[in-house]
Amino acid sequence: MDQTVRPHDRPLQLPPDAFELLPESEKNAEFVAMESRTFFQDAWRNFRRNRLALVSLCFILLMCLLAILVPILSPYTYDGMDPSSLNQLPSLQDWFGTDKFGRDIFVRVMYGARISLSVGFAAAGINLVIGVVYGGLAGYLGGRVDLIMMRVVDMLYSIPSLLYIILIMLVFGSNMFSVLLGICISSWVGMARLVRTQVMSLKEQEFSLAAFVMGASRSRILFKHLIINSIGPIIVSLTMMVPSAIFQESFLGFVGIGISAPMSSWGTLANEARMVINSYPLQIVWPVLSICFTMLALNFLGDGLGEALDPKKR
Amino acid sequence: MSEAILRVENCCTWFDVTRGLFAKKQIVKAVDNVSFQIFPGETFGLVGESGCGKSTLGRTIVKIYSPTSGKIFYKGEDISTLEGARTKAFRKQVQMIFQDPYASLDPRMTVGEIVREPMDIHGLHTAKEREERVVELLQIVGLKPDHIRRYPHEFSGGQRQRIGIARTLALDPEFIVCDEPISALDVSIQAQVINLLEEIQKKMGISYLFIAHDLSMVKHISDRIGVMYLGHIVETGPSHLLYSKPLHPYTRGLLSAVPIPDPRRAKERRRIALSGEIPSPINPKPCCPFATRCPNATEKCFQAMPPTVEVDGRQVACFLYEEGG
Repeated sequence: MDQTVRPHDRPLQLPPDAFELLPESEKNAEFVAMESRTFFQDAWRNFRRNRLALVSLCFILLMCLLAILVPILSPYTYDGMDPSSLNQLPSLQDWFGTDKFGRDIFVRVMYGARISLSVGFAAAGINLVIGVVYGGLAGYLGGRVDLIMMRVVDMLYSIPSLLYIILIMLVFGSNMFSVLLGICISSWVGMARLVRTQVMSLKEQEFSLAAFVMGASRSRILFKHLIINSIGPIIVSLTMMVPSAIFQESFLGFVGIGISAPMSSWGTLANEARMVINSYPLQIVWPVLSICFTMLALNFLGDGLGEALDPKKR
Repeated sequence: MSEAILRVENCCTWFDVTRGLFAKKQIVKAVDNVSFQIFPGETFGLVGESGCGKSTLGRTIVKIYSPTSGKIFYKGEDISTLEGARTKAFRKQVQMIFQDPYASLDPRMTVGEIVREPMDIHGLHTAKEREERVVELLQIVGLKPDHIRRYPHEFSGGQRQRIGIARTLALDPEFIVCDEPISALDVSIQAQVINLLEEIQKKMGISYLFIAHDLSMVKHISDRIGVMYLGHIVETGPSHLLYSKPLHPYTRGLLSAVPIPDPRRAKERRRIALSGEIPSPINPKPCCPFATRCPNATEKCFQAMPPTVEVDGRQVACFLYEEGG
């Protein structure tokens, strides 16, 4: 039999002077100091992990940049006609070809991006502010105030938005302002309803009662607790709103009551290209592709943002 | 005895639950004609079955609901007349610990922000002092300072309740309403939280209104106990007296339902099984609310409200103890 004693069987014999007091500086060694990060720094870190959303964000930023720079830097203008080169195929001079008046389609698509994107973002922004404040107040105050506020919303919602837009166009003329006004006047309603239901369910939760008992003011509870906690659905619906406004504007352009010629938006470009679709089918591809990719990117971006802003999904 | 820190006088909290425009008026008398006092440094336990109005009473005391009638005095001041700065002062001194540790913390705030919020609201201390105070509070409730950056969902139920307690302590309150702070927790965690609450009370001399339905827990923590049934307090008294010699038939029934962790003793005990249904709290009849289930009920109990009488240093609302009855 092996008589060796394994090390841990032997009683440990250490003289008292083998011990030494831990220096004061090392006493807090177990304290893991996390770097101090704010909510948005946290969210940004999470957002970066989502490749698709990041690519989408880059695409949208690139689109915005092009929309601003191309019409300035290009030798062509959106309304500059050239009778010597009508309906050309894409070439080094005209990247997307030219249309039936010899206008450069690339510049026109980028100029259209200016209008389409600004309508999209402006409409979403206006809807966000009005919808969140209106819906938040209705949901939080509740009772009679809510009843009256929501009936107003119902009235606005019951009239088709196309009707508003046509009426507004008659009064203010067909420019970007009236398109924007027409789109916003009825579409903030969806946001208001969404925020209202969120706030109504959240305000009964104990954390909002807790804030109340602490002495928080109504506006603090509403904005700091209730609306912040409904930010997920808000962001998702917001990113759906941008493409839907772009789409609505394109639709208006397509049926011929939107931005008037020679200015272009993606919708009017598609409409013009539709007329020559049998002879020059390539012309319709550019505005349609722009619309498609922008909407896809915005949807991915929305998903990514919704996820990044939710602390539970980290 | 010193001046009561909280005095509730004939407090009623009723809710109108009438549905439809022309329907008959329906009123839930969640709290009906309740009176009691709480003294500084004392723990007043409030027990009763689910739906008897314990939480509503607690919420009325912290001014979440306003009483339909009756008065609540905090330090001699009627809380329903408070306005502006005095409401804020009241909110600073009276805090509440909530039942559900999963719902009572804002899921989008970090633990540090949650504990700091009351100080932000009341503008206490400088930013740096607040940070230090948050760390100190987390240590008081037994959490680590490096938990500051985490979110509530990363913690267990017991830890969350500790975060909630740290938040209520941030303002150095003098009176805390504990609304079933332990009923959502494991038994092992319950003991920890109870001990923590007792420790804090010893250190800071806070008074508690402790709402629960766990009788043995309430006996352990409370100095005096009120037993609630269907919106009424049927019996109040010092906890040892109330437990050793319950007077009201409902208290007797309630106590005999407490499990005894000894089978031999449990066998010897005579259990009073309450039969019958709890009457609906909607439009209750003006008689003893317990009459339908009471083993001692007489004709009288179905006709009038029993008066509250003083017996052996306790208040009982029952005809059995009426003078000459």
